[in-house]
Amino acid sequence: MPFQEHYVEVDGFRIGYRSAGDGPPLVHLHGAGGLRVNAAHELLSQRFHVIAFEMPGFGAEENTRTRDMPELAATMVQAIQAAGLSSINLMGTSFGANVALNVAVRKPDLVHALVLEAPAAIRPAGLRPPSGQPEAIARMLYAHPERMPALPPVDPARAVRIATLTKRLRGLDREPDLEARMSGLTMPVLVVLGTRDTLIPPEMGRLYKDLIPGAHLVFVYDAGHAIAAERPEAFADVVGDFLEREDAFVISRATTVLLP
Amino acid sequence: MKVSYFETGRYRTPDTVPGVWPMPSGVYDVDAGADVYRGMVERITLVEQLGFDWVSLSEHHYSPRILTPSPPMAAAYLAARIHKIKIALLGPIVSHANPVRLAEELAMLDTMAGGRLIVGLLRGTTNEALTYDLNPQESRERTDEGMELILKAWTEPQPFGWQGRHFKYRTVSVWPRPLQQPHPPTYALGTSREAGEFAARNRIGLGVSYGPFEVMGKATGYYREQCAAHGWEPTADQIIFRANIVLGRTDAEAQQAMEAYPARAAFAMGAGVANALLELDARNIAGEARQASVNRALPINFVGGPDTVVKQLRRCRELTGAGIVDLGFNTPGTSDPNALIAALELFGREVLPRVGDI
Repeated sequence: MPFQEHYVEVDGFRIGYRSAGDGPPLVHLHGAGGLRVNAAHELLSQRFHVIAFEMPGFGAEENTRTRDMPELAATMVQAIQAAGLSSINLMGTSFGANVALNVAVRKPDLVHALVLEAPAAIRPAGLRPPSGQPEAIARMLYAHPERMPALPPVDPARAVRIATLTKRLRGLDREPDLEARMSGLTMPVLVVLGTRDTLIPPEMGRLYKDLIPGAHLVFVYDAGHAIAAERPEAFADVVGDFLEREDAFVISRATTVLLP
Repeated sequence: MKVSYFETGRYRTPDTVPGVWPMPSGVYDVDAGADVYRGMVERITLVEQLGFDWVSLSEHHYSPRILTPSPPMAAAYLAARIHKIKIALLGPIVSHANPVRLAEELAMLDTMAGGRLIVGLLRGTTNEALTYDLNPQESRERTDEGMELILKAWTEPQPFGWQGRHFKYRTVSVWPRPLQQPHPPTYALGTSREAGEFAARNRIGLGVSYGPFEVMGKATGYYREQCAAHGWEPTADQIIFRANIVLGRTDAEAQQAMEAYPARAAFAMGAGVANALLELDARNIAGEARQASVNRALPINFVGGPDTVVKQLRRCRELTGAGIVDLGFNTPGTSDPNALIAALELFGREVLPRVGDI
């Protein structure tokens, strides 16, 4: 089923989202590159009602008002509620995982389970979001850019606008307040990292394990930063399984019977 | 240059063994098999005394040649009996293995052997795909993924899941971890572009084998280029060259022995299987396609008396950059175990003292 475009008006913003599928709601918050529906969204929409928001400032309109990550999280909470959702699975990608964590620590009752894809809530010192021409961005996002469809052309004005916004909102590489609150999370949490991610190295996953009691860490082999785009089947499989079975997703249900 | 002795098992049977792989296990001679494992300890005790740096083991199946289908098991047996020499597994066939199990066994071994373990990770010879019913077209990918998973299992301190292409685990957290931290000296074994890139990306060594020095130099040169692209430079000890040697007291004696070197493949297969495997098993040297080694005899890279072999080792070093040579000693024309002992002693006396500065 194709994704349908919708919007909500909250907090002075018109916030677009695309949704598809039936089942428990799965809200997705995109990375700093903006919203692009990919094959993993499609696969997850076969099991979940996927709602992929475009956060204010990452679409056509500029956002000069939101000052920091907690404010953006508060806006997104309003957007989620305005979309008629009261208990969600929340998935964030990179910058969006930072937003998702900020939502989860502030509105834990809203978030049934949390998925952090290549999360940028804790960053290596000096990390800069991908920039430049599409080919250069693809080399930063993917382990195998040659296997991926070309990224759309870059609009220089939009790129500068989003880079400014991201820099303003993303916070410190390590946010003591956020990290202190992470230890209080009680919903199931899954952290997914690509083994070939050069922006958020897979070794950063262990920090989330240290900070969030009971969090699960999964490496997606041979994926770069944009895991869901690069290995959609692998990503959707583990995310879907986790959301469906939560902690019990560690128990295999695959059969090894070859010839009954 | 360091020298490793490749322990190939030396199965000697009073009966003729059929030449086609897989060898029927019904012709296996239990006494000859028992001799293999007794002899391994004797030979490795000797090479340790002679001053060899490593002993190496490798994995082959369904054949009297190299009677160590489980190299970790052979290594554990040897580690308990010989206490100084480093034990190199060159190597376990990763495409066959449960990589997590292999990571566990190798970490156990390193701990039990007091940090003497060297690990080479191998795709396996073409015939080996048949051993455990694996698709030869997938062996390259399985090997790459398995190697990466082994390195991750050794180094990741938190339990993790693995969402691979060929392997999937939801819970990995190996105990023990290797005694050598972060992990034992590790090599990707192979000449392919993929092996070179993997080794360079993961900052591990590369092991090549059997080809002419110039050709193996292409593989090691490509590896070094890739290391540079990843911002590091391998040491000479991070390149292994495995080869066969026929050592005589003189060049003439070695050449005479070579006349008896069997020009047959170690793991010969019937034409129907061999031809099908050749089509399915794509191989390359630093990106240049090459045919898989099927039904071909292994070459001898080092032949001669001590002086000649020293020269050949020097040339090997120059052309491949290898700081470690892993030698399979051949004694063509005789199955007398004393001939092998004599060759090892000759090497220890006449060659080993002269390789340190190569």
